[in-house]
Amino acid sequence: MKVIICGAGQVGWQIARHLSGEKNDVTVVDNNADLVRRATDTLDVQGVAGFASYPDILDKAGARDADMIIAATHSDEVNMVTCQVAHSVFAVPRKIARLRAQSYLTAIYSDLYRRDHMPIDVVISPEREVAEAALRRLAAPTAFDTEVFLDGKVQLLGIQLDEDCPVLNTPLRQLTDLFSTLRAIVVGVRRAGTLFAPEPGDQLFEGDQIYVCTHVDDTARTLEIFGKPATRQERVVIVGGGNIGLAVAQALEGRAERVRAKVIEKSRARAELAADALERTVVLHGDGLDMDLLSEAGIDRADAILVVTDDDKTNLLASVRAKSAGCGMAIALVNDPTLLPLMDPLDIDAYINPRATTVSSILRHVRHGRVRDVYSIGDAEAEVIEAQVLSTSPIAGQAIRDIDFPEGVLVGAVQKSGKVVRPTGGTRIDEGDIIVVFALAADVPEVERLFQVSIDFF
Amino acid sequence: MMARILGLPFAVLLMGVGALSMLTVSLHAYLVRDLPTGRIFLYSSLIFLILFAMISVATANRVIRRQGRSHLISLLAAYTVLPLMLAFPFYEAIGDTAYLTAYVEMVSSLTTTGATFYASERLPSSLHLWRATVGWMGGFLVWITAVAVFVPLNIGGFEVGARGETGKGTLPISQIGRAADISERLRKFTVKLFPIYTGLTLVLWLALSLAGDPPLVAVSHAMAIISTSGISPVGDLGGSSSGLVGEAVMLLFLVFALSRVTFSAWERPEGLGSLRSDPEIRLGLLIVMAVPLLLFLRHWTGGSVAGVTLREGLLGLWGGLFTAASFLTTTGFRSVGWDEAQLWSGLQAPGLILMGLAIFGGGIATTAGGVKLFRVYALYKHGLREMEKLVLPSSVGGSGQTARRIRREGAYSAWIFFMLFALSIVGVMTAFSLTGVDFDQSLVLTVSALSTTGPITQISIQNPIDLLVLTPTAKLIFAAAMVIGRVETLAIIALMNPTFWRA
Repeated sequence: MKVIICGAGQVGWQIARHLSGEKNDVTVVDNNADLVRRATDTLDVQGVAGFASYPDILDKAGARDADMIIAATHSDEVNMVTCQVAHSVFAVPRKIARLRAQSYLTAIYSDLYRRDHMPIDVVISPEREVAEAALRRLAAPTAFDTEVFLDGKVQLLGIQLDEDCPVLNTPLRQLTDLFSTLRAIVVGVRRAGTLFAPEPGDQLFEGDQIYVCTHVDDTARTLEIFGKPATRQERVVIVGGGNIGLAVAQALEGRAERVRAKVIEKSRARAELAADALERTVVLHGDGLDMDLLSEAGIDRADAILVVTDDDKTNLLASVRAKSAGCGMAIALVNDPTLLPLMDPLDIDAYINPRATTVSSILRHVRHGRVRDVYSIGDAEAEVIEAQVLSTSPIAGQAIRDIDFPEGVLVGAVQKSGKVVRPTGGTRIDEGDIIVVFALAADVPEVERLFQVSIDFF
Repeated sequence: MMARILGLPFAVLLMGVGALSMLTVSLHAYLVRDLPTGRIFLYSSLIFLILFAMISVATANRVIRRQGRSHLISLLAAYTVLPLMLAFPFYEAIGDTAYLTAYVEMVSSLTTTGATFYASERLPSSLHLWRATVGWMGGFLVWITAVAVFVPLNIGGFEVGARGETGKGTLPISQIGRAADISERLRKFTVKLFPIYTGLTLVLWLALSLAGDPPLVAVSHAMAIISTSGISPVGDLGGSSSGLVGEAVMLLFLVFALSRVTFSAWERPEGLGSLRSDPEIRLGLLIVMAVPLLLFLRHWTGGSVAGVTLREGLLGLWGGLFTAASFLTTTGFRSVGWDEAQLWSGLQAPGLILMGLAIFGGGIATTAGGVKLFRVYALYKHGLREMEKLVLPSSVGGSGQTARRIRREGAYSAWIFFMLFALSIVGVMTAFSLTGVDFDQSLVLTVSALSTTGPITQISIQNPIDLLVLTPTAKLIFAAAMVIGRVETLAIIALMNPTFWRA
């Protein structure tokens, strides 16, 4: 597939990296020649330097025979115009634009993106999605990773097992018998840095990181079973008042239960912007690493600190500092996946990886078949895919135990006519079902094949 | 022809308008068969119109180099020189008065102060109408000059929310080739606001007539409320026959002196909805509600509850409400229930409270005088923010760029104005004392003049002040203080600024 990515910034770069890794023909366009060169040097992509919305630049990037264009520059307006040009001049079939401004994203104006108006097929908003991820983390404070599937009915939880976990050293098969009403299934285990899909006979050990697919109503119970009882967050300190921090603070303000949030922001102008947008939340101006400022924000009595500045090191250090000052829990935004192993020794409870969030939102539109959602786990080690089973798919009409899944693949949840059921070996996958599948990165193409239209359809 | 006339200097135009308005009074005098007065006004009108024609010819095609300065000077002249002309028929019609007294009376009317030297029985009805008309025109003069002259110069209360430097205006933006100059703004806003101003007055006049006031009282009170001059042909509301109904109607119209949004809401995108978020309206209503309530509740701690009926209580509450509103807007009418309110409050001299309210004043760019609610609001916001900073020293204040500017630079300039106002009070009081007025009286006179609330002189202390016994110097000081109160110290200081003249 030929894809043009406009904007080689954080988001564009991540998408390019992911798509080029999947053997797509990727061209990166950016008006900063340095960024383009960095992309072409590091990744298997082509680069064009120039303004993404100019027709001649898009022509140079090969827009005439492109299958998809992803406009992810910093400017909403440039992204919109790029999609318009790609549609009107080059008739590119699929157009994805990244839009940040809340006003553009408001649902009541979504008519704007109709084909005959502003032809954008998919609007993505990385900041908003990262903010949502942060909120989910706050909601499930003891899990280190969370994501929802099947319209919020199923939750994927990443849980770090420690010594007081009551189900250590027990085979998974036995757990299923013990908690027969629990609609949860362990889909992945990371032990000593390697992620794998567990067999029914596998046991869980102290220090394992596990991924559990659970029905959303059973989330609290699942967490309890794995030794992580849920707590309520009342006082939250947010470091970083950028788009993400602001969106989180706004969401917290909008909640019915009163959450007292304080936002710390280093840039005066940005802090003023945040203060204008927020009503009850106090905005403090200064360095989030400054102990005086942290204690002014009441860090010693805070239930959680959420550090979402654009600098990974600041995020880690501020989290550590807050924890040492008595904050109950720390969540850090980490862009660099190589820093993730530091979470444990630094005693940071959870992290948000904007890459995973952003790439997930793009990937679900790139995949073949009826893929509805994709969540990338860790440093692209595995994916959780939510897809609808078509009548022509090779797995339709078969029981799960009969489907020829690769070794690294597990079915996490199945939705049959609107109802979520816990998959067992005997569960029959029918046409129209939606299934959530955990797949190691190497097995993703095989899973995709299973969801695709089979050849005898034609 | 019309374009020619409109192109004349502002001060000359005002003279023409003043001369023309004498005709209405002469018409009234003719109708009530007060022929000598009518004749005086007719002849004065003709004389001054001829004079106006001559001056017009002399000043036509005069190019104004410095718009801002020229109009500020014109405005100052309008309050100091124009009354000389307006006083002429007044002086002639009374016959046995000093020209100086007539002049100060006219200054008092034009600045919408409304303090009077004459007992109401002494003046014929046409002269009462003349006073009310001059006050009404003075009110309109404030309406238009505030938006047309003060806004571009960032004075008159607009400096609190403004971007640019006080007295100078905002830097021009080179992309916009031409901004409307002040003469143009004056024309534009006159055309826009005159129908509203006249319309409101007519409606109030009609309402008061329906409530039972005789025509002259109704029209004078209507003009007095809209222009907040407080000029009444019967001394005070006690002499009117519309009673509580009339007061209720007047109270509704006092709101136009609380904020300029009330008569320019159509200029804003939210329309009338902007009234709800307007700080002046909110602050004004809060004060108007709180003061009478406190006076009323004080009854239980200070006064004696025994032997008062519910009706008296309600009348007292109403009296407090109306009087507070009337003094906050610097009108100065006393409700018929005020005596009751005074009784309820149990205070010896609640007049002091009224002086305080008058110093607060109404909204910027309205007919009200005083410190202005917007400045009070800026200081309040600043104080609130400072308290917040005591708890969280590095917190950042929200609610927008404008609100932030009001809290910082706005509060600063409001504070400077407040200090200037306080200094003016001290200065004018000292001047009064030097002419032999005693301390109490000079305080009341000063506040009355600076806040343009004439009727304070009659009710705030135990014995009403007889203005006629003031020495000529004291009268002149009184007039000067009224002009300072009306034009505002900042505008006069802007005129004194050497760079203002050099550039």
